[in-house]
Order: sequence, then structure tokens, then C-alpha cells
Amino acid sequence: MKGWMGKIAAVDLSSGSITEEKINSEIREKYLGGRGFGVSIMYSKIGPEVAPLSPENLLIFTTGPLTGTKAPTSSRISLSTKSPLTGTIFDSNAGGRWGIQLKKAGYDALIIKGKASSPIFIDVNEKEIQIKDAKNLWGKETFESIKLLKKIKKNKVSVVSIGPAGENLVRFASIMVDEYGTFGRGGVGAVMGSKNLKAICVSGKRKVEIADSEQLDFVIYETKKWIKANPLTSIGLPEFGTPVLVNLVNKKGLFPVKNCQTSYIKEIENLSGEKIKEKIFVKRTACPTCPIGCRRITQTKNERGKGPEFETVYSLGAMCYIFDLEIVAEANYLCNRLGLDTISTGVTIACAMELKQRGVVDAGISFGEKDKLKEIIKNIAYRRGIGNDLAEGSYLFALKYKAENYAMQVKGLEFPAYDPRGMKGMGLAYATSNRGACHLRAYMVGPEVLGIPKLINRFATTGKSGLLIYIQNLNAALDTLIFCRFGGFAISDDYYARLVSAVTGWQIEPHNLQIIGERIWNLERLYNLREGFSRKDDLLPSRMLKEPLPKGPSKGETIDLNGMLDEYYNCRGWNKKGIPDKIKLKTLGLNSSKEEKIA
Amino acid sequence: MLKAFQKIGRELFLQGLNNSHSGNLSIRQGDRIFITRRGSMLANLTEEDIIETGIEKNDSNITLASTEIIVHRAIYQNTSALAIVHCHPPYAIALSLIEDDIIPIDSEGCYLFRKVPVLKSEYTIGSKEVAKGASKILKKYRLLMIKGHGCIAIGQLLEEAYQWASSLEHSSKIIYITRTMKPDFIYKKTKDYHKW
Repeated sequence: MKGWMGKIAAVDLSSGSITEEKINSEIREKYLGGRGFGVSIMYSKIGPEVAPLSPENLLIFTTGPLTGTKAPTSSRISLSTKSPLTGTIFDSNAGGRWGIQLKKAGYDALIIKGKASSPIFIDVNEKEIQIKDAKNLWGKETFESIKLLKKIKKNKVSVVSIGPAGENLVRFASIMVDEYGTFGRGGVGAVMGSKNLKAICVSGKRKVEIADSEQLDFVIYETKKWIKANPLTSIGLPEFGTPVLVNLVNKKGLFPVKNCQTSYIKEIENLSGEKIKEKIFVKRTACPTCPIGCRRITQTKNERGKGPEFETVYSLGAMCYIFDLEIVAEANYLCNRLGLDTISTGVTIACAMELKQRGVVDAGISFGEKDKLKEIIKNIAYRRGIGNDLAEGSYLFALKYKAENYAMQVKGLEFPAYDPRGMKGMGLAYATSNRGACHLRAYMVGPEVLGIPKLINRFATTGKSGLLIYIQNLNAALDTLIFCRFGGFAISDDYYARLVSAVTGWQIEPHNLQIIGERIWNLERLYNLREGFSRKDDLLPSRMLKEPLPKGPSKGETIDLNGMLDEYYNCRGWNKKGIPDKIKLKTLGLNSSKEEKIA
Repeated sequence: MLKAFQKIGRELFLQGLNNSHSGNLSIRQGDRIFITRRGSMLANLTEEDIIETGIEKNDSNITLASTEIIVHRAIYQNTSALAIVHCHPPYAIALSLIEDDIIPIDSEGCYLFRKVPVLKSEYTIGSKEVAKGASKILKKYRLLMIKGHGCIAIGQLLEEAYQWASSLEHSSKIIYITRTMKPDFIYKKTKDYHKW
């Protein structure tokens, strides 16, 4: 079994039982790994009767066939669950050594269910899996917890840990991976907290068997050639990190400011990649096997930490109308320590700021009040005062005050850093994403702004569905492998297909990746339909539909989503309600009675 | 400026010196470089296809610039060029695969170039190796061929650089036609060939 270790470990925290099972070969062929494995298991085991924060919900950590190989940008781990923030199927992935170590311990996936009676951590290695007491870790910040566990294990492990936010079931709590990686989105940290699971250590030394090492080396050589040749992956990201996009996106009038009240502002330059490099940059780091190295270590007057990333500059900076780089960086460090998703944290605070501006409710912070930012973040993590309301996420917070139109979210997941009014394809991508407003399901910024693969008219509303679906499917397939999106800026799907083929010995072609991706996308859709989601949820906030952008290069733009949705559903082979038809499901091998019942 | 890019970009395509998406153009203005966008169609350039960034210093626009930005920068840093044309002329590329230098045999080519160096490199696209080699060669020559890849021509204006690229392709065709008509034709190098 080249590329896979062949085993899945299952830990039941309620009973304390630890079991191992073999991976069904059909599942491997249909879903490869990562996000595909995750949705396949979630769909078969977790129905609408299971609440996201109940013991029955699953946490499924998955690797892919390329995890643990030398394939560039492949050192990521995926996590699937039902999200407490969105109620949808959810997967989040993070970079670093953890996934490699899990695989080297002999497992392709680790499934956790149940709830421990008191705080525990899980210790996974080649010989055994143990559930251990974590009372001394409970209450500690993420890095403190990780540091302690590494000390106990003499630095021979990789660790994921939640912080206070996860323990307090903040609906957008994150999970930190070692020093720098993050499972950021969807409140996966709260699911971990709901199980009294503080951390998981993994270590192993096994090797991933490769079907054709010579061919793999050759394809890696060719892949690296393009990564080195492309200015975005060889200069832009290494030198400036992800904030390299700040000025670029702002110049097009796409950078959301003040809870999306505008999307163009000169002051954003203070938070740009160029300014970060000039003012607070210390060094860059990279995930294993990554030739790009986009991560930044930065240092303010008071602290040293990771980030801020592009999305954080947007959420904790521009959305809150704060343009002080040191404050934004320190707020970012704080979120990392407390275990909070920076995007949802910033956007939820921005929502509260707008509700104060409109006289709806006073959360004690207004746009631009930078000195209050860190305090409100702490209040969210510890659910103190109105922080308890904000810890529910922007949608539930605003809904409480009947002001949900001011929550910039889709299906409960807060917006990333692109105003879709100036790039209609991205708007359709947000609306149709199975996990809510997400830029990574289909990065339409590629064709609409960066010219990857080619530049298209970002204002056009028709004719984009085919391309969007292609990218959604491809990204779903890449999430099975589990590749970082940034490699995709330089290389195309045939390179990925060749990498998988060399590792597994299977003849995988780009077309196969499309089919696998489409299967995953449709199964996720079926999952969400079963949970009660429908066309009415494939929606953008009314601001996007009705309020024209007031200034900048995208001035006057709104989105007419309805027509775009019709075109999209039609291209997907779904009916007007957004339900896949039986023929489509059959072609994808999703025609069991369970699936057909939904269609 | 846009008009100059559009004119030369279109000419390169119409003359067969580029295919639909190949090649790139740039000009230098002080410490700034204006270069075609990565993946743009030189025959149909729009305002969005001209990317401004630094010659020495990176900024966010680097993410949009042509893959060959590294080569263009090195040339501007090491030569007096104010414009660069990079294109893929097929006859010259074919010759670059079998010759160490391209030595024109037609009289115009002889006058213009004497010889056109061929740069060999393991990595030929967006490569540091090419950037280093090309900028060194172009201190002495107005154009060169990257083996199996394409031509880099420099000038004070885009049109001037275009002329060198166009003339090189013309000379390469003459060599091809002559060899087709008389396969055993050998052009005798002059005694002072190595002095150029």
C-alpha cells in the first residue's frame, strides 16, 4: 500500500477505548485522504441529531498519500468535524510537522469521539496510544501547553493544543500546531474543548513507502523549477509573506474596511507586507518540504510572535479601522496564545463596532479604538461580560440584537479579506462554499486579480460558474493530498497528478482529481442539505447585494447573486433549489440509498 | 507608455516572434521598472497588463510581474539598457540548439551583430543563472539567445530592442534557407571573429 500507512486509530474519550481499523480500499480510491476521508466518515456517522459540541461529534485528523514524502508544500494535516460556528460539515487544515509525525507513527487518520470526564491529552507514538491526565495543562495558553508537553517529551514530539478559548467553547476557537501552524477556522478548537481534550502529541519514525522514488524525485525537481521561477512564490511570498497582497488588493478597491462599509483606504499601507518587513520583521520560516517559506516571525516593542498574516491585517486591522501595525501584530499574538481564529475574532469585533456606531448595542469598543482591542479579545476568550455574546460569532451576536445584516458572514463563517462586490466570482465562491465564507475553497482572486491562470473581468457576473466549479473541485482534491494553496500559484493540476501517481503507483490524471474533488463537493453538499441547509443559505449579507461600494476602483458595485446562483447550480448538475440530481450522484458513485434519499 | 507596449507586443506576435502568451517587455524609468504582467498576451495588452515595481527593491506588485522579472532586473542593474524585449523566435531558437553562437551570414546581420552569443543554463525560465549570465553578456552585446528558449534584446527604446530581435530572426531564416539549399554550406568564420 504505497503512500498510505493503512491504519486509522479511533479513540473514544468517554469509554477510554482505543481501537485500530484498516482503511477500506474503496474509500482510498474514492477519496484519497485528508478532506475526502473526513467528509466520507462524517457523512456515514454523524447526522443532524448530533450537536457540534456534544460528545458524539467527531474530530477526524487526516493525512494524505503525500504527507511525509518530499513533495513540495505537502506537509499539512486536515481536520474534519461538524462546526459549532456554522453547523455545516467543516474541514480545516494546518501546516507543520504534526501530520508527518502522525503518519510516521503509523496512522493515516486519528478519529476522536466522546468526552473525557476530566481534562486529558492524547499521546500517540509507534508503539501505543495513551490517554493521559492534563489537569495541569487546563487553563494554560496554547504555546505554554505545547512547550510543557515538548519538555516532558524531550522535544521529540509534535503537539497540537487548544488555549483558553477552546476550553471556554468559543465558537471560533482555533487549535495551534507546535510553534507556528494553526487550524484556524470554524471553531474546531471548541470541539476539542468540548471533549476535555487539551492537546495531542504525536511522534514516529516509520517511513512512507513510495511506489516510484525516481519518478517522484523527477516530478519534484520539475515542480520546484516553477515555484522558483514564479515571482509570487519565489519573491513575493518569501520576502513579504501573505501581506504582500495588502496593497495589491487595496489598489483594486477590494480590501474590506470598517466592517465592509468601504473597501479602499490609503492608511492600509501602514499594515502592508512592505511595512511589516520594514518595521517588525525578524525572520521567515517554512513548513517542512516547503520551498516558499511564507511565515513571518515579527517583533514589536513589547513582544515577539508569529504574523500578522494577510487575513489578520484585514480582520484585526482594517475591519476594526485600526492601522497601527504594532497593535495589530500584538492582537494577533494574543489570539494565537488564547487559541482564537483571527479572522472571526476581528470580524466579530468589527460587527460589534458597527452595532455601536448604529446605536444598536454598546460592546464597549468603537471603530479605531485600538487601545481597547486586546482587552475585548481576552473577554471573548474567557467569555467575560459582552465577550460571552461575541464568543458566539458575528452572526449569533448580531441576531441577538436583530441586526444580522451587519454580520459579514456566510452560513455563520466570517468573511475573509476580499470584498466580493468588486470581484463577482469571489462572491459566488463565498455564497456556495460548503463551509461558509471562505477564500480557500475557490481562490477566485487568482483569475480575477492575480491573472492565475489568466486574467478575467472581475466585474462580469456571467460565465464564471464553470471556472469556479473547476477550482472548487480541484481544491477539494488538493485538500485530500493535503497541499498548501500557495504551490498552486506556480504549478498546475497535472503536476499534482504526477506527484500522486509517483507516490501511490496509481495512474492519476488531472481528470481523476476533478472527479474526486467533485465527489467530495457533492457529498459535502448532501451533508449540509441533510442538516437543513438549502439555497436560502447560499447567500451573501444584504450589504453586498444592496449597498454600492462608496469609493475606489470598485466604486458603485454590488452583487446580483440570484442569476449567478442559477447558472452555478445548472453547471453543477443541481436543480434550482441547489439539490444534486440522482444522475449526477450516480456518475460520482454517490448513489447509496442514504444519498439518494436527499436528492 | 501603454501605446509603445501595445505596438511592440502586437508586432512581435504578428511577425511570429512570439506565440499567444510568450515573451515579455519592459522599460526602465529611474529606479522603477514597467514590465508586462505574468501570462499576459503581448498582442492584446491593456493597462492592467503593465506592472510597475522596483528595479532594486521588491514591493507587492512583484506578485503580478512577468516570470522573467529577475532577468530584466539584473540586466537593468548591470547595463545601460532602458528597454528589454524577450521573445521566442523559432528559427533562432532552433539554431541556438545546435550552435555555440549564432553568426549571421547575411550582410545586414553581419553589420548589426557580428555574432549573437548563446547562453546555456540548466534552468531557463525565471532563472538566477540566466539573470547572471545574460546581464554579463549584455554588457558587451545588444542581444543574446538563451539556448532552446528565446532571445533577449536590449535598447534605449522598446522599438530598438524589437529591431534587434526581428533582425536576428531574419538572419536565422537566411541561415536555415541557405543550409536547406546547400546542406554542406559552411560559413567560414573571419579571423577577427573572436575579437568581437
